[in-house]
Amino acid sequence: MTAGAGSSYIIEGPAMRHQVSRNRRIAVFFLLPAVVMLFVTTIYPMLYAGWLSFRNYDLAKPFIPRIYVGTANYAEVLTSQPFFHALVTTFKLMAMTLSVQLVLGVGMALLVIQKLPGMALARTLLLIPMMISPVIVGLVWLFLYFPELGYLNYFIGLVGFEPVPWITSTKWALTAIAIADIWQWTPFIMMGTAAALQSLPAEPFEAARIDGNSRLDVFLHVTLPQLKPVLISLLFLRAIDAFKIYDIIFVLTKGGPADSTEVISLYIYRQSFTFWRMGVGAAASFVSLVIIVVLITLFFRSMQRSQSAQAR
Amino acid sequence: MSPSAREKLLVYILLAVVLMLFMTPIYLIIVSSLKPAPDMFSRPPAFIFTPTLQHYYDLFTMRPFHLQIMNSLIVAFGSTAFSLFFGTLAAYAISRIRNRWTNQIAFWILSMRMFPPIAVVVPYYIIFQTLGILDTPLALIIVYSTFNIPLTVWLMKGFFDDLPEALEEAAQIDGHGVLATFYYVTLPLTAPGLAVAAVFCFIFSWNEFLFALMLTGSNAQTVTVAVMSFWSSDAVQWGRIMAGSFVILIPGVIFVLTCQRWLVKGLTMGSVKG
Repeated sequence: MTAGAGSSYIIEGPAMRHQVSRNRRIAVFFLLPAVVMLFVTTIYPMLYAGWLSFRNYDLAKPFIPRIYVGTANYAEVLTSQPFFHALVTTFKLMAMTLSVQLVLGVGMALLVIQKLPGMALARTLLLIPMMISPVIVGLVWLFLYFPELGYLNYFIGLVGFEPVPWITSTKWALTAIAIADIWQWTPFIMMGTAAALQSLPAEPFEAARIDGNSRLDVFLHVTLPQLKPVLISLLFLRAIDAFKIYDIIFVLTKGGPADSTEVISLYIYRQSFTFWRMGVGAAASFVSLVIIVVLITLFFRSMQRSQSAQAR
Repeated sequence: MSPSAREKLLVYILLAVVLMLFMTPIYLIIVSSLKPAPDMFSRPPAFIFTPTLQHYYDLFTMRPFHLQIMNSLIVAFGSTAFSLFFGTLAAYAISRIRNRWTNQIAFWILSMRMFPPIAVVVPYYIIFQTLGILDTPLALIIVYSTFNIPLTVWLMKGFFDDLPEALEEAAQIDGHGVLATFYYVTLPLTAPGLAVAAVFCFIFSWNEFLFALMLTGSNAQTVTVAVMSFWSSDAVQWGRIMAGSFVILIPGVIFVLTCQRWLVKGLTMGSVKG
């Protein structure tokens, strides 16, 4: 809304004029502080990262001038094998965690919406993992996976399987990280799905049941289509988070063994703080920002769709 | 349609399996924090042992863990206050002025929360170094607010949207200005929302690790970084790690147990109605 020519107020009448000036006052006093605040604290660092990405900068040697290197950093990032590998690893991990979280989460939601004694408590307990600091999640899973000592292999041995080199082999490390993330975030899908299930009207289900459809049929053809918009929103939120995953990997494997768990965040971390190549790290950051913007845009679309679906 | 006895049994069996899978790690944190060191990895696991508070004693005496708790509290409360102030005001404007611009701004604010932290950690480091506030709680308060303001905006927007505007109009007819109406009418009516937003901001700040690791040293170190440091010393201090972990998970657990119905709204950014 442009607050342009004053003459238009006369046409719209005094009530509208009051409304417009009130809105403008609200905008200035209420919205502006947060916008300025966020602009300074987020856009400025990002612009700085953009500036850095065209330069050669070693944080360990702060007095060496930051030389302009053109698009060399981007060229290196986009053509280098390690970055491509990190990107593939990120999406591999995302696919592993999201698929299991979706199936398990929806299953658990169907379980906890049953109206039975004790269910409310069980449901509450299952929400706890989400509120635990990811570092703590990493540490407790490290305790479970720990080579030689960890209890997970002990229990696997009890059931009669060979011990698994969880975090020490390139074959298993990514799976080990996926399990920790699945443990923490499956309750998120469960919680969102359960809330959506309970807001669905009951009649279509009863009608479908009376028509003699099996429980599975009702779920697949009546429940699932209605849940779809919400599930898509939840999955995008998980995807955005999965793209940023850092803490759990930092604790469990630090990207190893042999880069097998080096996701984008760890790649940026290593370039910046192990090799002290801030310019390359910043260029990789910018490439990852582009990807996350795409994910965020898709989430916003799905969110508007799921909100309008729930408003019906 | 009430479930038959057999269905009930099946539900409870499945529930028991799920609970066991999801609660074991939490059980391990609590039990291991009380286990004497020799029993830590005993085979078979020692379900019965003489509990000891030695790890908690070590936690607070061998390391200044209470100072790190203090740092975490200062950062968490500081960022919460900061974010509530800016976020609530912005949420009110976005809720009351509905046009294309405020809608755009709302999504821009939300997207700020979703950017990968690692991408901005270097610029923050350099900027804070220049300003001379590296390794102070202020640095973390600023950084966490960039995540907490968007969260507050989206949570509070929902609460303001649900408030009938007629209540505010009545106050305005009585001659109160925009600010007075907001302060005396709107805010008291949306107090539950403020409480929820505050708790979310607090827990996010309390749990955060990456920025705390990069932007603090010995002076402003927070609890998450401190617990991680028990791991990097030459021998892994599992007892102390678990004792510290237990201390860190207390606020989150209290939150889940007391106001779980707000979790849906807060964690899905309003895309699922709780």
